[in-house]
Amino acid sequence: MKFLIILAWKNLFRHTKRTFITASSIAVGLMLFIIIDSLLMGIANDSTRNLIDYETSFFKIHADEYWEEKDTLPLDYTISSPQKIIEAVQKAGYEAAPRTVFRAEMIIYKDPFPEDGSLQVKLIGISPDQDPEVFETMNSLVKGRSLENDENGVVIGAWLAEDIGADIGYPITFITRTKNGFYQTFDSEVVGIVNTPNPLVNRGHIYIPMETADYYMEMGGAVTEIGIKASLQAKIPKVRSELEDALKLSEDTESSSLTGQKLELFSWEQVGSDFVALAAAKDSGTQMILFLVFIIAAIGISNTMLMAVYERKQEVGMLRAMGMYGSEIRWTFIFEAAGIGLIGSIIGVILGASANYFMVEYGINYGFLMRDMAMGYRITDVAYGYWSPATFTAAFFLGIFLTMLVAILPTRKFLKLEITDCLRNQ
Amino acid sequence: MIKLEQVNKTYQAGENEVKALKGISLEIKDGEFLSIAGPSGSGKTTLLNLIGCLDKPDSGKIFYDGEELADRTKKQLALLRRQKLGFVFQSFNLIPVLTAFENVSFVLSLLSEDQKKIQQKTMSLLKEVGLEGMEHRRPSQLSGGQQQRVAIARALIKEPEVVLADEPTANLDSHTGDDILKLMRELNQRHNTTFVFSTHDSMVMDFAERLVLLLDGEITQDNSHIKK
Repeated sequence: MKFLIILAWKNLFRHTKRTFITASSIAVGLMLFIIIDSLLMGIANDSTRNLIDYETSFFKIHADEYWEEKDTLPLDYTISSPQKIIEAVQKAGYEAAPRTVFRAEMIIYKDPFPEDGSLQVKLIGISPDQDPEVFETMNSLVKGRSLENDENGVVIGAWLAEDIGADIGYPITFITRTKNGFYQTFDSEVVGIVNTPNPLVNRGHIYIPMETADYYMEMGGAVTEIGIKASLQAKIPKVRSELEDALKLSEDTESSSLTGQKLELFSWEQVGSDFVALAAAKDSGTQMILFLVFIIAAIGISNTMLMAVYERKQEVGMLRAMGMYGSEIRWTFIFEAAGIGLIGSIIGVILGASANYFMVEYGINYGFLMRDMAMGYRITDVAYGYWSPATFTAAFFLGIFLTMLVAILPTRKFLKLEITDCLRNQ
Repeated sequence: MIKLEQVNKTYQAGENEVKALKGISLEIKDGEFLSIAGPSGSGKTTLLNLIGCLDKPDSGKIFYDGEELADRTKKQLALLRRQKLGFVFQSFNLIPVLTAFENVSFVLSLLSEDQKKIQQKTMSLLKEVGLEGMEHRRPSQLSGGQQQRVAIARALIKEPEVVLADEPTANLDSHTGDDILKLMRELNQRHNTTFVFSTHDSMVMDFAERLVLLLDGEITQDNSHIKK
């Protein structure tokens, strides 16, 4: 075996240029794999954080049946005693904040707006005191101020403000239907503009004080949801179990003995299922890249090994005449391929790490895409890379393993030749 | 020790069948220095290949130490070659990336000899074939004659029972060829190793202790005569 390894090692440098060209193709493939995986992982991580911090919170509590109708933002299924629940959740060690989410038609008039217009929007009633404990939205103010209790002010997303030409102090009228089904019209004024890292918030969210929402929508103290904050690293089943205990939810009826109302808990993965599906698709994307790397390696190595075995036909014939088994000769070529794979993997990982450094430090600005396209990812501009030791380790060993695998075929075919055919002068 | 009985071998050359060997019967005894001679296409290499277990006959029997080889698997034949047969080729067939030392010593590595013994035997044999001080040279740094000496050392290092050499001097000038033949003869006498070599060169034939003449796949002459 020692001799086979020595021979394979020396054969690597028989045609140094060819070895390095083949290794380069593997290196480029692995570098691409590292970069794309890092970028997708970085986007997924940032998106998860932005989804939880600005949109879904870690867990949400809804009244029974709300979830089935969630797309219409119904006010029929509300949580009647939110404060009791919030206190129970806080006792369990988690922050909680109520929200009332409803749809309204936003009316704007020319002067001060550039044009007259109306738009269907999502209004979110938030508690100015409790909401920042769970959501980061109000920390992203770029203009104006945060909301105050019981005022007619609104805070709107930056892209929406830009689209309609809104600025601080501009008046907006909303037309909606109350919980009781009556039409309601109320005037409001832009007091703040938020530019968050979550494109959905920037594109269409309008925040109003909870008390104002409660008054105009005739909620009677009820809310549509309660957001709960947990550490991003927390395990969903563990948090769910603790919350169920805190809310004294019966497993069968999901009815809370705390409030006597049927409540349902939804994790961020359930609420943000569109993004979760996208993240799962990312894994398929990574597998496609792996497949591409495999093809590159397969063609490069296969070609190199084919050239190597045929130019050493007489040599191999001599080795077989000397009594070397086919398996030993096959291993010589596999070790040689492993050497090419090793060189390719080392170069690939170095190149990948260098490129990844820039991806992690500076990222790639996708602002031009994210601004106008709803891609599902919750990032607004710069997508950063991510250091993943697992990816680097996988890339390194994959490069070696694939090259060894691909070397088997040409060698196998070659070893089917008779010894006398190998020895014949070309 | 090696016996061929009514051995036939036919090749397919395009649409034509070429009868390379026709009913060859031959017995080679231990320690012989035998030359298989004949013009090009007479079947010399085919016969050497059959004796060397590199090929199988279409019909007829080959015995090695009294045992017939027909039923042996490829792996068993490889083991036989590994342990008992040495080969010298017309174009030397040295591995260009290995040194003279490595080209010879790897044969013992295949036999799992210990490193110290490999070192000792290889150095001693390289000295015996006149390559002392050239152990670390690669084939490209050696002359044709020196390369063939390495090839002879490679064939002899495992102390085989038989060395088969296919036109060992064909790629060498007459003076170097003469030296190589003398060396082979010396080694044959010193180690009592059987040497079977093919040639079409009359000068080379003269070195043989026994001359088997082939013509169109048939033995036309089998003379035993001691020369030089």
